[in-house]
Amino acid sequence: MVMAGTIDDELLVKQFNQGNESAFDRIVEEHSADIAVLANRLLGWPGDVEDTVQDVFLAAFLGLKKFRCECSIKTWLFTITINKCRSHRYKRMLYLRFFSQPADKASAVGAHAKGKTQMDDETFHRVRRAVAALPPKYREPVVLRYLQELGTDETARILDISKNALQVRLSRARERLRQDLAELIAQ
Amino acid sequence: MTEDKIKNLLQKADQTAGGPVPVSVDLSAVHRRANRRHVANLAFRITAAAVVVTALGTWSYTAKKTRDRQRIVALETQIKQLRTQTDATLNFIREVLEEDRKQRRLNELRTQLASYSDPLQEIRKQVDKTAFILVYQANRMYRELDQKDSAIKAYNRVIELFPQSRWAEEARQRLSEIQNNQLNNSKGDLI
Repeated sequence: MVMAGTIDDELLVKQFNQGNESAFDRIVEEHSADIAVLANRLLGWPGDVEDTVQDVFLAAFLGLKKFRCECSIKTWLFTITINKCRSHRYKRMLYLRFFSQPADKASAVGAHAKGKTQMDDETFHRVRRAVAALPPKYREPVVLRYLQELGTDETARILDISKNALQVRLSRARERLRQDLAELIAQ
Repeated sequence: MTEDKIKNLLQKADQTAGGPVPVSVDLSAVHRRANRRHVANLAFRITAAAVVVTALGTWSYTAKKTRDRQRIVALETQIKQLRTQTDATLNFIREVLEEDRKQRRLNELRTQLASYSDPLQEIRKQVDKTAFILVYQANRMYRELDQKDSAIKAYNRVIELFPQSRWAEEARQRLSEIQNNQLNNSKGDLI
């Protein structure tokens, strides 16, 4: 399955390099939903997913010619998404720090989806805050491993770190979450 | 165990948040932005190249100007040093020439001084000459003019005025000759 995917990716990249831009349309069609979900999770339920996804595919369009097919297109797109979400969060943090009113923050916090079925508002916000409070280097492994449910190898590859470093970061992230959400975990 | 609980909690929160609003990637916008980015990159490279060329030109011009200024300053310093050296050399030459002139003048004066005869000697010569003239005149008076008295007076005068000279001796001999002649004449008259 993985081999077939890689061959398919190579074919798409080859076609794109030969000037067939519909190959890129296929890539977008195939991966846009996954990218949107990952961006939504990384930006903290919810975020400016649409803009981020556009930025991701713009970067992919500009960089596809240099793509060497050493990993799958999905992994590559996830790496781009991680980077774009980092810069998006950084820009949003600067914006909130210098230009926003308190109401902006409140609206951003309260704008989650309507279809909540699993968790009450208060618990959701506590979890959301705890995850949002994690530094990016801990939040990203948590999202990729526990929410995207990617394997250790792929996660380490996307984050460009060793497996040991990934385990260390996950362990520290869990420790922080355990401290912040101790009551919820004990239930 | 804790890991599973945390994972469950996060997944529940994720489900509660719901998925993102369905995203439709605007491919035409991606193409437009890519083109814009391409143009912007090109413009940036051209601008950067222009800036670099301008900066290099300015730097080169400034460096050349600075080099020229430094060269001028160095030349001015060299000229000052040469002028100082020349002045010192000229002063030295002037001193040497002045010294030489003084030396030459001194030599000239020495030569001149050496050419002058001893005044005492000159006086002696004059004295001797005067005594000679007096004796010579007295001789003429005695022998040629037969003025014996005047000649005796002149001989006596030589003896009186120049007693140490040889002409005084000559005068004495003449006087004794005259006296002898007078004695001989008077003896002859008596005989």
